[in-house]
Formats: sequence, C-alpha cells, structure tokens
Amino acid sequence: MFGKLLKYDFRAMWKQFAFIWPAALVLAVVNRFTLDGLGSSSSVGETTAGVAMLVYVAILIAMFIIAVIFTIQRFYTGLLGDEGYLMHTLPVKPWQLVASKLLCAVAATAVNVAVAILSMLLILPWDSGDLREVFQVLQYLCSHWSMESAQVIIAMLEFILFMLVSFAVGYLHVYLAMALGHLFNKNRVAMSVVAFIALQVVVSILGNMILPPINELISPLVHNFQGLEGFHAAMWFGIAIELAASAVYFAGTNYILHHRLNLE
Amino acid sequence: MNEQLVTCAALTKRYGNKTALDRVDLELGRGKIVGLLGPNGSGKTTLIKILCGLLQPTEGTVLIDGQGVGPYTKSILSYLPDRMYFADWMKATDLFDLFHDFYADFDKVKAVNMCASLGVTPSDRIKTMSKGTKEKVQLVLVMARKAQLYLLDEPIAGVDPAARDFILGTILTNYNEDGTVLISTHLISDIEKVLDEAIFLKQGHITLHDTVDNIREREGKSVDALFREVFRAPNYEGGAF
Repeated sequence: MFGKLLKYDFRAMWKQFAFIWPAALVLAVVNRFTLDGLGSSSSVGETTAGVAMLVYVAILIAMFIIAVIFTIQRFYTGLLGDEGYLMHTLPVKPWQLVASKLLCAVAATAVNVAVAILSMLLILPWDSGDLREVFQVLQYLCSHWSMESAQVIIAMLEFILFMLVSFAVGYLHVYLAMALGHLFNKNRVAMSVVAFIALQVVVSILGNMILPPINELISPLVHNFQGLEGFHAAMWFGIAIELAASAVYFAGTNYILHHRLNLE
Repeated sequence: MNEQLVTCAALTKRYGNKTALDRVDLELGRGKIVGLLGPNGSGKTTLIKILCGLLQPTEGTVLIDGQGVGPYTKSILSYLPDRMYFADWMKATDLFDLFHDFYADFDKVKAVNMCASLGVTPSDRIKTMSKGTKEKVQLVLVMARKAQLYLLDEPIAGVDPAARDFILGTILTNYNEDGTVLISTHLISDIEKVLDEAIFLKQGHITLHDTVDNIREREGKSVDALFREVFRAPNYEGGAF
C-alpha cells in the first residue's frame, strides 16, 4: 500500500514540476549561447543576454518557491483539508500518509538542487578540450583507485545524505506545526503559524542546551582524526542529530493524525 | 465474520463544551438499508465520520466487523462525504485507478459503465466538471465498490427532487446486497420507501432505532410523519411564539 501512496504523491509532484524543470534546463542552454553576446559590441546581443539570464534566475527562484508551496499544500489540503476525506479513508496507516508526503517533498527538493546544478553546468562555455580534460580526470581516478579516492566519494555521499536529512527535518517541522494548528477548532492556519514559531523557539532553546556539551565531547575526537576522517565523523554526528529531530517531529505528527484527527 | 457489522458502545464526541454525540449505543446488522435521520446538527455527520476514522471519539468504542477503526475497517467501508474530496489535477479515470489500487472490491468496469449511464466522461479533468458532475463521479466511486458498509452522508441534500430519485436509483441498483447502507438525511419522505430500518438522532442521542415496518405498525403513521412530530416538539414546548 505504501508503494501505491508514493505512486500517487509522485504523480502529483510531476504535475507540479513537469514544466519548470525542463524549462530551467532549456533556459540554461539558451543562456549558454546568449552569454557570448555580453562581450560583443552589439547592444541587441547584450540585451538578449540580460533578459535570458533574468528569466533563468527567475525560473530557478520560482522552482524553490514552488517546492515550498508544494510541500505545504500537499500536506495541508491533502491530509488536513478536503482531500483528507479521501486520503484518511484509504486502507493505510496515518504514518504511511505522512511518510509518503515527506519522501515526495524531499525528492522534489533534491531534484530541484540537481536541476539547478546541472543547469549551471550547462551554462558554462565548455568546449571539446574541457570535456576531454574532465574525461581524463575521471579516467585517472578510475585507473588509480585508492583508499583516498574512495574516501572522497564516501564523503560526498555523506554530505548528500546530510542534506537530504536536513530537508526532511525542515519539512517535518512544518508538518508538525500544521498538525498542531489542526488541534484548534478555529483559526487553524493562524495557529499553524504560531505553532511553527513556537516550535522554532523550543528547538533553539533545546539546541543551546544540548548541543554545546555534546560538541565539547565530540570535538576532541573529531580533531584527533586524520584527513577526511574528521569530516566523516562530523557528517555522521550531524546526520544523527537531524535523524533524532526527524523522529520526534514525525512521531508528533503521526500521533496527532492518528489520535486527534478532526476533519471538519 | 461477526454477526453485527457495526457496534458502538457509549460513543461520545465533544467539541469543547458542545456534546455532538452523547453515550451512543448502536448495533447494525448486515444486508440492510438504514436511515440515519435527524435535523441539522443532531450528530449524524459526526457519527459517520467516527465510523470512517475521520474523527476520533472523546469516549466509547466503535467496532466494525469486530475490529477497531483502522486499515481493515477502511478497506470494507465505502464513504460518500458531504463535500468534494478530489485533487483538481486528476481526471475521473485517475480516481478509478486510485480506487482500483487501494480497494480490492472496486469494480473499474462497473465504474466506467456507471459513468456512461450517468452521462459523465471519465477522461475529463475534474476541475472542468460542473458541481453536479463531480457529485456523480463521487457517487460512482462509492457505489462501484462491493463494500460491507456504505456510509452515505446527505447524498440527496441540496439537489432537486428529480435528481434525488436519480441518486437513490443509482444507490439501490448498485449496492452490495450482502452489505449494509447507512444513509444520513433529514429528507425522510424521499427515502422512506427504500429503508429497512430507521435511526432517529436527536441532539446527540439515539431516540429511536427500529425497523420501518415496526415503526409504522406501532405508531400508525409513516416514519416521515413521526419524524416531523418528534423533531417539531421542541418548538411547541418552547412556547416563545
């Protein structure tokens, strides 16, 4: 059943981003050529380059704004609004509904980041010589595979995992705020905003209380590590903290949807 | 399989100071069409939402086919809410796929055939459909299932008398005869002829639950006439006019 939920959430996500992701990539390619006009003496070329860059940047900003709106809207109208009448009568558990929305939101943000990076690479004026060099570097890395290169790859993967978990914590914070707002009979949107701010304050206070002593404990260990080992330790420490926060947010949201659901 | 399809014991729901359901005890058997009758604000929708799992009771228990409300009870229950629950980007065919994926008892061929007979084009986007067409799609989704329990919340409220007959006709020709249909309404005269049992809900209390035949025999009047008498009484007692 969880796979089926994901299927429908991802389909809704695709409907939302089907235009903007290809548009960002196409505009990057357009900018790749129009940027040449910046150095030219032609004012038409300069204007075209300026407009193309403006539209590209606007699309990138819009992409991230849409991701935030999409996350809030899919949870609020999908689970706490009218669509909730359908979703909460499906034969699934409430945690599955939350997890499906969360995975979808994290995936949308991850693809946003990937599209943004890819589009920036597309804008760069690569020529065949540059591509040959990149290829040679990759070939060198493959032929001279060592523990060090493996460490670099692992560190990059750890960083990506850390980013994904960070996105999840951010979204779960918003989910819990909306679920808390739902506990009120009136002014639920306003109460969700109040809950969001209150949660933020609680997190800051707890962070200031808990993190310094843990940091004191961990820091010497991290500094004793050689090379990338310190980075690995810091990443896993960060991931563990973010996962613990995610678990608390998730449990709170799930509890409210399971035991305090009050669709009106 | 449990003998009773629905068992509610001391079911209570409070919204702040207001009590919507007050220690309701209710048992519903199988293979019946039951009218949940009461004026607006009597607790009909609250009771149905608790059975669906959309509301949590303040006190008391609910069992459907012997189990507490959860994925199993939701899999055997077909619910028609009093509002539209569609995402605008969907087409009726997307909803058929969704129901087919989640409910083993959903008959997609029947849904398509019902659409044809109701004059609905399933490939149209929901957001381009009129309110009446959306209601038909929702009715198709609910009635194309071979559910154990149908919960229909005010299916005939807000539509003209011709449409009421049409909706009731659709329900009666499509429901699973081994299952039970619970229809909430305050428009008794339109549905009395199809009911096996009637439940009167008044200010969160069940004041009457019996077969329609027994009610007619005992009271010497139709359920509709009895309903008007029971629910008109407070105005006379008030004596304000």
